[in-house]
Formats: sequence, structure tokens, C-alpha cells
Amino acid sequence: MSDRPADPSRNEPGNVPAPDVEILVGIPSFNNAATIGHVVRAVEAGLTKYFPGHRSVLVNSDGGSTDGTTDIVREASVDYESILVDHRQGGLRKLVTPYHGIPGKGSAFRKIFEIARELGVRACAVVDSDLRSITPEWIELLVKPVLEEGYEYVAPYYLRHKYDGTITNTIVYPLTRALYGKRIRQPIGGDFGFSGRLASLYLDKNVWESDVARFGIDIWMTTTALATGARICQAFLGAKIHDAKDPGADLSAMLHQVVGSVFGLMEEYAGTWRPVRGSEPAPTFGFAYSVGLEPIHVNLDRMMEMFRLGIKDLGPFYRSFLPQEVLAALDGLAGETDRDRFVYPDEAWVRTVLSFALACHRQVASREHIIKSLTPLYLGKVASFVIATWDSSAEDVEKRLEELCLAFERDKDYLVGEWESKA
Amino acid sequence: MKAFFDKVIVGPLQEVVRKIVAFLPSLLTGILVFAAGLVLAWLVKLLVVRIIRLFKLDATLARAGVPDALKKMAVKDPPDRLIGRTFAWLVAFIFFILALKVMKVPVIDELLEKLLLYVPNIIVALVILTLGWLLANFLGRAALIASVNAGVKLASLLSRGVKAVVLLFAFVMAFEQLGIGRHTVVAAFAIAFGGIVLALALAFGLGGKDLARKFLEKRIRKDGEAGPDDLKHL
Repeated sequence: MSDRPADPSRNEPGNVPAPDVEILVGIPSFNNAATIGHVVRAVEAGLTKYFPGHRSVLVNSDGGSTDGTTDIVREASVDYESILVDHRQGGLRKLVTPYHGIPGKGSAFRKIFEIARELGVRACAVVDSDLRSITPEWIELLVKPVLEEGYEYVAPYYLRHKYDGTITNTIVYPLTRALYGKRIRQPIGGDFGFSGRLASLYLDKNVWESDVARFGIDIWMTTTALATGARICQAFLGAKIHDAKDPGADLSAMLHQVVGSVFGLMEEYAGTWRPVRGSEPAPTFGFAYSVGLEPIHVNLDRMMEMFRLGIKDLGPFYRSFLPQEVLAALDGLAGETDRDRFVYPDEAWVRTVLSFALACHRQVASREHIIKSLTPLYLGKVASFVIATWDSSAEDVEKRLEELCLAFERDKDYLVGEWESKA
Repeated sequence: MKAFFDKVIVGPLQEVVRKIVAFLPSLLTGILVFAAGLVLAWLVKLLVVRIIRLFKLDATLARAGVPDALKKMAVKDPPDRLIGRTFAWLVAFIFFILALKVMKVPVIDELLEKLLLYVPNIIVALVILTLGWLLANFLGRAALIASVNAGVKLASLLSRGVKAVVLLFAFVMAFEQLGIGRHTVVAAFAIAFGGIVLALALAFGLGGKDLARKFLEKRIRKDGEAGPDDLKHL
């Protein structure tokens, strides 16, 4: 039997701890029994080890798991003797609560924000429940910049496999960076730190019936922080190894929720991003190091086949909003049989993404149709990227992504000009 | 003989001439009303086209694919001119009815009454067809995008099928509203629709059994075997 610095109370839904809590760590979950025990133990250890003098609460916001996820959260405990030299005094409580509303990560976060406001916490962090690589240090890195350095939003910075997070790498990161002028490398990372004030601001926004309530929550939190002028930094968390997000969700639905949120936020914050040119790095905390990452299998033929099918069948639809030069490039690429010459140029890809954003802005068709029709082109770009970087190291891939980001930044004038000349 | 000639020929002729003379003012008024209607219809056409261009509705219609759809139906006029012309015909038609009313011919009055009672059916049928056309386009495109994203090779055919079925529904409803071959159309639709479903069932059952097996295997197989690659998009 191990000694514990604090005796976490096993609270039931609605039994909110007394309002003298300083730190809140939220974990959204839905059927994550395989991984959530490790995440809860890492959070408990992190809070106890790095914030022993602070009262903390761990909130598990669950979407009605049927695999015993909530039981595992309640029962998970840390062997403190193995991680602490001395018995530090903390005040950790644990709260397991269901969330209501549209099923999804965003609704889970809403519950976490509500509890944060009710408790009046100073700093919050949220971490995904499917993480396999989280360590106690993640909590320190996500919470300390808020608690001690005066930052309001801490975005994660991970080492990921070069082909992990392809929507982030090819669309969300370069576009967000070009729009708002800050280099937040993982804007939809999923694990964030933020102030109690920002949590309260999030809660006041009327977005909880939109895609923000689903996969759109991450980009919405980052963009709102960027656009409202919050002090932002990044925390280097090491490797991110996690289960695939909602294996049941298909790619076009994910793309619709995430990219649709980015485009929707462009409408809301047009006044903020239009004057911005170029980008600047965000301060980064943590000790950067290299980690080994296992190779993964990529089915290039399938992606290229999907791209060709999209060009063949959706061509007439694309012609209603894609520029002529992009259409010509796409037609040429679709006819390319030599895999080594299958290259989707950065400039054409940038124009493609911007044209989709403009098509949504001009309402040329249903927003859902426009964004879902991006799927084959996205797969074409991913296939081209994989072919170009198959033998590249992680550092070389980062350099390659930097070139893509600069291409997005170079085309900002085009976007602003076209945006303002809305037909 | 003269009396007989007056009674059989001259009398009726005089009566006809008298009636024509009595009808002439009404006829003249009717012609004037119709002529005024034609002038007004021409003005309305110009005005409608001007309004459409002023509010850039022609661009909106172009983005919605209306000109392409019209071309497919062998209509060469651009949508703005077509709408203007429709309004002009409507005004001309209204004035034509007014002109006939002014002439006060009992048979025409009776016919007009029947026609006017039928007009709401025509309007409802046109509304049904317009909504059906819009819905067919929307659902056709949704089916096309979904099937392309699912990697279905015959995505285009599937989309056209969805569009055709929705249009068929709209036409059947419109004909029913107009009372044209009410029972025949419904029966023909039921037979045709049932036939299509049966044909598809047979086609999938016989021709696509391997495809169906693969599909079910893919759906039912365990998580460990799932996925053609290990890419994590988010």
C-alpha cells in the first residue's frame, strides 16, 4: 500500500468540489478504457509532483462510455513512492461527470469550461484520453506558463511521425499561420493549457450547436485565442503517440468539421486576419529532443486513385469555383501515370485551399458540399507529399512544410483581394 | 316572293350586321386592352431583366448552375431574359383574359371561368417542378460527392440515378396536381419504380455478389484488420 500526498475524492456527477481550486485538468472521453487509465495517472502524478502547494481538480467529461471508462478514471491511482522522493502535500480531487448536447469533444470541453468557471480556477489544461505517450511533465508544461508566466494560452508542440496529422500539416497549420501571423505548429493538437479567464470567454461564445461541438473545438480554441489577442506560447511535449481519432468517422466528415471550422472562423475574424502579413514565432517552453518514431504503412495507390476519381467525377463542380490555372494543374496531375512525377505543386495547393475558402465565403454552393469535395484533392496532396518525402528525415520534412507555409504567406494578398471583391 | 326573300335572307343578315355593329365597340375595347397589355408586357420584360442585372441575380443563378441546366434542356436564352420573358407572357396572358372579359361573350365567359379555376393547379404544379428540380440537383451532388469520397467507381451514374428518381417523383406529383392521367401516371410510376428497384436488386445480387461479400467482410471484420493504411489525418 502506497502513501498518497492527497486522498482524491471520488466525486459523482453534479458533486462539484469547493470553489477554492487553482488548477483544473480536463479529460474528455468516450469509450477510452484502453488508454485513459494511463492518462489519469500521468495527470495525477504531474499535479502532485509539480504543483504540490496548489489545490487541483481532475475533471473527466464523458460522453456515455459503455466500456468502463469512467470506472477506470475513478479507480486509477498513482504509486507515489515510485515517482516522488518526498511526500508533497497537494489537494487533488477527481470529478467524473457526463456531458450533454451534441456528442463530441467540443461538448465535453464545454462541461469542463463550465466547471472551471464555477470553481474560478486560475489555470486549466485539457489532454486527450487516447494518449499513450503523456507523461507528468506535460501537465507542468501546459499549466506553468499560465500560472507563473502570465500566458493565457499554451499550444502543444509535439514530435509526431512525419505522416501523422496530415490535415494539420497540409491545411490547418499553414493556413492559420498565414491568416493570423503566429507560428502555432499544432493548432489542433488536442492538448492545451489556458487561463480561467479564457475558459470563461470560450463558454460565453454561442458555438455549441455547430461543428465546434465536435472535431472543430481544437482549431476554434486556438483561433479564438489568436484573434482575441491572448498571450500565446507553445510547450514542447515530446512525442505524441495516440490512437486514431474516432475510427468510425470518415475522412470527409473530419475534413468538413475541421476545415469548415477554419473557414467559418475566417468569416468571424476577417477584420483581424486581413491586415496581417508574414508570421512570427511563438515563445516555446520545454526541452526539445529527438525521439524514435515507428514507420507506418501508407497506401499511395489508393490515395492517387481517389484523387483521379475526384477529378473525373467532380471536375464540373470544381470548374464553378477553382481558377483555370489550378484546374489545368489538376487535370495534368490526374493524367500522370508515373508515380515519381506525381507532384501537386505547393502554389497550386495553396490556390486550391484558398479557392475553397473563397467558395464558402461566396456561398457558391452548400458549404458541406464544397468542403467535402476537397477530400480527393487533399488525398492527392498527401500522396504527392508522401512521394516527395519518403526517404526524408523528420527535419527535412519540417523544412518542406516550412516551404509550404511560406507559399501560403506569399498568397495572402490574393486571398485578401478576392475576399474583399466578394461577388 | 320579295316578302319571303326579306324574311329568309335580308332579315337575318340585317340582324347579323346589327349584332356586329353592336359588338364592334366591345371588340375594339378588347383589342385596345390587349394591345395595351402587349406594350405593358414588353415594358415589364425590360424592367425585370434590368432588376435581375442590377441585383446581380444573374451571377447567382449562374453559380447555381441554371444556365448549364437550361442549355441541357436546349434553352438558348440566358436565365435573366428567360425570366423577363416569362413575366411578359404572364402580363400578356392577364390582359388577354381581361380583353375577352370586356367583350362579354357568354361562351368565352364560361370557358374563362373554367380556365381561371384551373390556373392555381398550374401554378402549384410549376412550384412542385421547380422545388423538385432544385432538390434533385442538391441530392444528386450530395450523392456524387459522398460516393466519390467512398471511392465508388460509378459515382457519376449513381448521382444521375438519384437525380432522375427525384425528378420523376416531382413530375408524377405535378401531373397528379394537374389531373392529367391521374391513375395512369401513378400506376406507371409504381411499375417503373418497382422495376428499377427489382433490376437493381437483381444486378447487385447476381452481378455484384463478390462486391457485396467484400463490403460485408470489410464492415464486419475486426479492428485489427481494418484500414488500408496507417495515416492519422488529425
